[in-house]
Amino acid sequence: MKNSIKVERAKKNITQAQLAELVKVSRQTINAVELGKYNLSTILALKISTVFNQTVNDIFELEDTDLDV
Amino acid sequence: MKTNYLFPYQIKKIGWILFIPGIILGFFFLIDQSEPNFLNVTVFSIARQAIFDDNVFFTLTQDNILDEIIGLLLIIGAILIAFSKEKFEDEFISKIRLESLVWAIYLNYAVLILAIIFIYDMTFFWVIVLNMFTLLFFFIFRFNWALIKSKKQIRDEE
Repeated sequence: MKNSIKVERAKKNITQAQLAELVKVSRQTINAVELGKYNLSTILALKISTVFNQTVNDIFELEDTDLDV
Repeated sequence: MKTNYLFPYQIKKIGWILFIPGIILGFFFLIDQSEPNFLNVTVFSIARQAIFDDNVFFTLTQDNILDEIIGLLLIIGAILIAFSKEKFEDEFISKIRLESLVWAIYLNYAVLILAIIFIYDMTFFWVIVLNMFTLLFFFIFRFNWALIKSKKQIRDEE
């Protein structure tokens, strides 16, 4: 799964720590999600998109590798 | 996210307070195996069988309770350390927790399997004794190592 959290953060000018605080998770979580190392829960995806005033699909996108199961 | 079956974060400290004396006493007990006299007490026993003796149930018996104290300090301490929430226990931390638990169980039984094959007699008895505790030790080690690694990842980016 690809995501554009880093870009959105830059647009809004907030750090990982600030985003983490806004959605009430640890900094490690935001970091791992941003690096694509952790597939976050739907609830967290919804919360993050709300912070950026976007839909989940605007920020998170399936990759081809996600479909090979 | 609501995380079940975990103790509050503050309890972790109590875990260390129990665990550290447990590990120190345990270490000396393993080396020395001497038992201080004042710990010889009468205890209630549900079942016991001395060597070459019959099983007896629900009796009072004499025992030195040093090993019981060490065992309880180590197990209760390690459980409280292992299963108290982190300061920020969220879904990612829960995932690390689960992975570490699976890893620790594999490692613990891998050690036991090797011991079953290669270790015999009283040495095997001591391996089983240690094996009671190592599952928790392995978990605590792996979980904290993974947490430190994820924190280091953040520092590396700064």
